[in-house]
Amino acid sequence: MGCWFSKKSKRKSPEKEPTTTVEENTITSSSNANNIALSSNATEDPPKQYSWDKREKVDPKDFMLTGLKDATVGRLPGKLNGQQFVIQDCENCNIFVFDHSATITIDDCTNCCIVMGPVKGSVFFRDCKDIRCVVACQQFRTRDCKKMEVFLCCATQPIIEASTGMKFGCFQYYYPELAFHFKDAGLSIFNNNWSNVHDFTPVSGETNWSLLPEDTVVLDHVPAPDPESEFKSVRVSAEASRSIVPMTKGGRRKDSDESCLFLFFAGDYTTANARKLIDEALGKGFVLVQTKEVSMRPEDITRVFQNNAEGLQEWITKGPVTALELNGDGVVEACKAMSRDMFSGTKVFVSDNRNTSSRDVDNFFNFADMQMGL
Amino acid sequence: MGLLSILRRLKHSPDQEVRLLLLGLDNAGKTTLLKQLASEDVSHITPTQGFNIKSMQSQGFKLNVWDIGGQRKIRPYWRNYFENTDVLIYVIDSSDRKRFEETGQELAELMEEEKLSMVPLLIFANKQDLMTAAPASELAEGLNLHTIRDRVWQIQACSAITAEGVQDGMTWVCKNIAVPKK
Repeated sequence: MGCWFSKKSKRKSPEKEPTTTVEENTITSSSNANNIALSSNATEDPPKQYSWDKREKVDPKDFMLTGLKDATVGRLPGKLNGQQFVIQDCENCNIFVFDHSATITIDDCTNCCIVMGPVKGSVFFRDCKDIRCVVACQQFRTRDCKKMEVFLCCATQPIIEASTGMKFGCFQYYYPELAFHFKDAGLSIFNNNWSNVHDFTPVSGETNWSLLPEDTVVLDHVPAPDPESEFKSVRVSAEASRSIVPMTKGGRRKDSDESCLFLFFAGDYTTANARKLIDEALGKGFVLVQTKEVSMRPEDITRVFQNNAEGLQEWITKGPVTALELNGDGVVEACKAMSRDMFSGTKVFVSDNRNTSSRDVDNFFNFADMQMGL
Repeated sequence: MGLLSILRRLKHSPDQEVRLLLLGLDNAGKTTLLKQLASEDVSHITPTQGFNIKSMQSQGFKLNVWDIGGQRKIRPYWRNYFENTDVLIYVIDSSDRKRFEETGQELAELMEEEKLSMVPLLIFANKQDLMTAAPASELAEGLNLHTIRDRVWQIQACSAITAEGVQDGMTWVCKNIAVPKK
């Protein structure tokens, strides 16, 4: 590996040993404490033991896929179990990570199809090209990449750097354990910022990224596993209606000027209810623009709902709210009717009329965006 | 814990305003560390586009912690934040072996900076919770930390996401803020 400090020459023998020990100190937090001089006995004390010192040593290679070509590889459900995963130097591969993980880095890969189960932290592509992937993660990052198609569920704003030909679509995937893996990774299926990408290196006159056509067929780009492979037992589907993450229009142009805010307060069947409403609304020809699952405090209720805040404050204590923006001519009246017919016993908020519903939508989603930034 | 405890200990520092600077490559865990220090939720953090700052005040003393975005494109802007730094905290993703050389390079360049001369340096060997994380000792060797002779420094293994090791690093920071600058 050699010396990482290629610029500096090695100097004479050191005065100070690098150490991870922590010196014992007697600084107390009482307001009369003085800064007591510390004894320099660091080398005599046994080094402090952290959890990573005590845990069973593993072979890093078990968490890596390196230098594979023309192969179908990955991890079956339960085989990764929240650990880190590293993919590097692969070519012409179909890679399936059917489990939740801590973080995934993908380096120097070419012409690969990759499916990644929910990632608790970041997914980071570096020096890759001709990649087609399905990804669910907390953060999505690329650097020095070329020609990628990403079906994405990302809890925060995706970022790209020095990358071109990047195309994004909404996450659209199902396998039986996927819903559990989302929970294990701490990701909400309702928090998906797939379509608003930040480019650290924009080029004037060009766009480094764009959105995939709405009718893109996922399996044409990211094929299902070979039926002869070790993944044949995983029943995969990429149909929009079966996707664990609801399909959202995101930043695409809306068909109608009329939107409606439909908000479920936390309860026992919130996710199921939200899905039920989405299915019903889609069946009537309306579109789902965006969704958010976010905690609210009483003061947020007042700010977001203003004149309609009466009585809502106590409903936010049980957990986060799940909000949907539905769009289409007549959507407000349709939502009110659906609320009456399907959710009469459930705690919901629905926009009251089409003149004020845009304001409801803006007030809520602006609040949610601010809440979920730093 | 974290920022508040630093502030309490600063009462005996001769300076009125203390400035900590968090640098490191993108995805190192700087913002997670900042949020952890402020005892805030770390489960929903977005890549930093510019910078984040946490300011705390207590009994006439002010503590500012600056967390600067680490993408390659915006590292040239780091120098805008060097002035009046009391401690430099450099964060490394210990599990990103592919980029050890790159982070070593950036750290080496920071050590040459005039405006950071003699500023105490804490290196957090972060993400120790991950399986492929290199131990702090391995990082110290690869970064040739023993060649740093012009300032006090310390390397501390940690996991910003669980907070393990973070307070130990900040204890060292506290002790070394009191060191008067030339």
